[in-house]
Amino acid sequence: MSEIVLQVDRLTKRYGSLVAVNDLSLEVHEGEVFGFLGPNGAGKTTSINMMCGLLRPDSGRVLVHGDPITGGSADIRARVGVCPQEVTLWSKLTCIEQVEFIGQMYDVPGRVARQRGERLLEELDLIDKRDKQAHTLSGGMKRRLNLVMALVHDPDIVVLDEPEAGLDPQSRVKVREYIQSLARHKTIILTTHNMDEAERIADRVAIIDQGELLVLDTPEALKNSIGEGDVVEIALDGEEDMRTRYSASLQEQMGAQAIVQAADGTLTVHARDVVNLLPAIIDELNKTGLKPTGMHLRESTLEDVFIQLTGRRLRE
Amino acid sequence: MRIWSVFVKSLREQSRDLLVLGLTLVFAPLFVLIYWLWFPSGSTTYTVLVINKDQGVELDDGTTWSAADEAIQAIESVTYADGNPMLTVKPVAGRNEAEKALRDRSGLVFIDFSEDFSRTVQAIRQGSTSLSVPLTFGGDLTNPYYPVAAILATGAVDHYVQVTTDHQPLVTYLEEPLGASGTRNEFEIYVPGLLVMGAILLIFQASMAVAREVEAGTLRRLQITRVSAFELMAGTTAVLMLVSIVATLLTYLTAVALGFHSQGPLWLAVVISMVTTFSIIGIGLVMACFARTVAQAFVVANFPFAFLLFFSGTAFPLPRMTMFTIAGQGIALNDLLPPTHAAIALNKIFTLGAGFGDVLYELIALTVLSLLYFAVGVWLFQRTHLRAEG
Repeated sequence: MSEIVLQVDRLTKRYGSLVAVNDLSLEVHEGEVFGFLGPNGAGKTTSINMMCGLLRPDSGRVLVHGDPITGGSADIRARVGVCPQEVTLWSKLTCIEQVEFIGQMYDVPGRVARQRGERLLEELDLIDKRDKQAHTLSGGMKRRLNLVMALVHDPDIVVLDEPEAGLDPQSRVKVREYIQSLARHKTIILTTHNMDEAERIADRVAIIDQGELLVLDTPEALKNSIGEGDVVEIALDGEEDMRTRYSASLQEQMGAQAIVQAADGTLTVHARDVVNLLPAIIDELNKTGLKPTGMHLRESTLEDVFIQLTGRRLRE
Repeated sequence: MRIWSVFVKSLREQSRDLLVLGLTLVFAPLFVLIYWLWFPSGSTTYTVLVINKDQGVELDDGTTWSAADEAIQAIESVTYADGNPMLTVKPVAGRNEAEKALRDRSGLVFIDFSEDFSRTVQAIRQGSTSLSVPLTFGGDLTNPYYPVAAILATGAVDHYVQVTTDHQPLVTYLEEPLGASGTRNEFEIYVPGLLVMGAILLIFQASMAVAREVEAGTLRRLQITRVSAFELMAGTTAVLMLVSIVATLLTYLTAVALGFHSQGPLWLAVVISMVTTFSIIGIGLVMACFARTVAQAFVVANFPFAFLLFFSGTAFPLPRMTMFTIAGQGIALNDLLPPTHAAIALNKIFTLGAGFGDVLYELIALTVLSLLYFAVGVWLFQRTHLRAEG
């Protein structure tokens, strides 16, 4: 097992009566991409703000390489690079000027910051905007520059809060590839409510909801935890109680070989060889009088894990 | 090193915000120009409303002599040292017309010459020592210009009557102006106040510069770097100081070009202005600690702005409320406001020809207040904006 670079120990944060993060404990290992998955308002941003020293926890602590980050030395804080969800740039400074400036704030010599900044701008396809002021950039370019700002001081740990949010498809692919390339030599912690993003990038995923850590494991292990196999989704026309009865009857018939759930007018059946179970599913459906309006067969995802854990979809 | 980086970054931002930079640089010079245009003769000319009911008297040679006409000429002949008129006469038909003009402020004082004004003057001239010349005057006593206009106009009539009747005044007044105060015109009197007001206005820019970082979220980015509150404040302040130096020099050049003369050394006035600016920026930084947006910073800064302008003696003189005395120097409540010392020091230099030693107390007070406000600003900034949120 590689070295623990960041340790979260019983972290709790309250805002009045709302518990934003409740007794969160986890460890992040050197060189891994650690994903925080959860719906909006789950406590992801609050958690990472405490992890990088921007927010003081009510209780608990965060250790970076064994040293506390809150109230700790600037050296410890400098080992973490943060790319916030909001674009935070100096609108009147050019790309290279702000990269150089933020580097200098971490005591990176001006020349080094400039060279490093140019390399990062090159890597994120921003080099031709080197001398353009930030306010003239498109939204996608600003988000990429936001990412460059987190890296110019060459931190060990990079914290990315919703790095793909607000990006056009082209920029999303670019940023995703770049994060994967970074993962070869840095530890990355990213928050997302995009299961696809987490599944593609993260080595381990922590699913968080209402401030509580629900599960933490590799994406594969999490998906296996709800049973190996695929998923069939059938959109159904009819009364809610009819769908519920159908779901219960199908579950009874399938027994342990499948997990059947009904939500939002959709029946979801998760099973190892789900294709071979389709005739039986349709037979049972014909008996109920419910009419299928669509059918979709797919591999199971982290969203299925979330639904299994909470009974809700991630985007609810 | 980090201070220098913050300075360069702030300078770049400032130089690219041409509207704000332009307004900051031209504000005080523009006001100097406007005041100069406001007083074409350098000072105010007070309008005297004259109701002339005097019937005059027939002299031995058969001609009619009007003492009121001569008294009116005496009023019109009152001038400043440079020969420009202090009073201008506006004839009105009666009391109603005079009161309307007073209400409209198209006149400052009325003088009512009675029907027997000439007859009485003539009688005194011919030896009737028991008589007194009747003269009615009045105006809006809440108008700050009224007392000046009333004293000047009635004084002119009084002097005319004494000369005409060959009577010696009971008291002979000899006025001795302090320094060059006797030769200063109103435009020159306003210049120090305009300079201090230009410095006070920087409170908005100082507080808004910091609030802009908070509102844009860039301060959160800086919060986890190695930069300290002192470095951020010092770098930001240095740029504002640079801008204010240019603005102050432009103001002086404009004033001098329009005829302003300083009795004392101009470099000393510039130094006073600089230290005043530093203290105002310090107060602006303190205000920024109570704001999270530029709009909030603007609203919050209005509060000290009003105090600094109206309670320091910059806008108009205020009595000192001495609280205690240190080494013979009375310390008043408004001494906590840097413009109080700046207004006194600049007046000493410009009008009274004061040198370095004469304004040393004000310079020390300004420096101490500047350092105090800057230190409070840094401390508050560290606690409110640079610490991890609680």
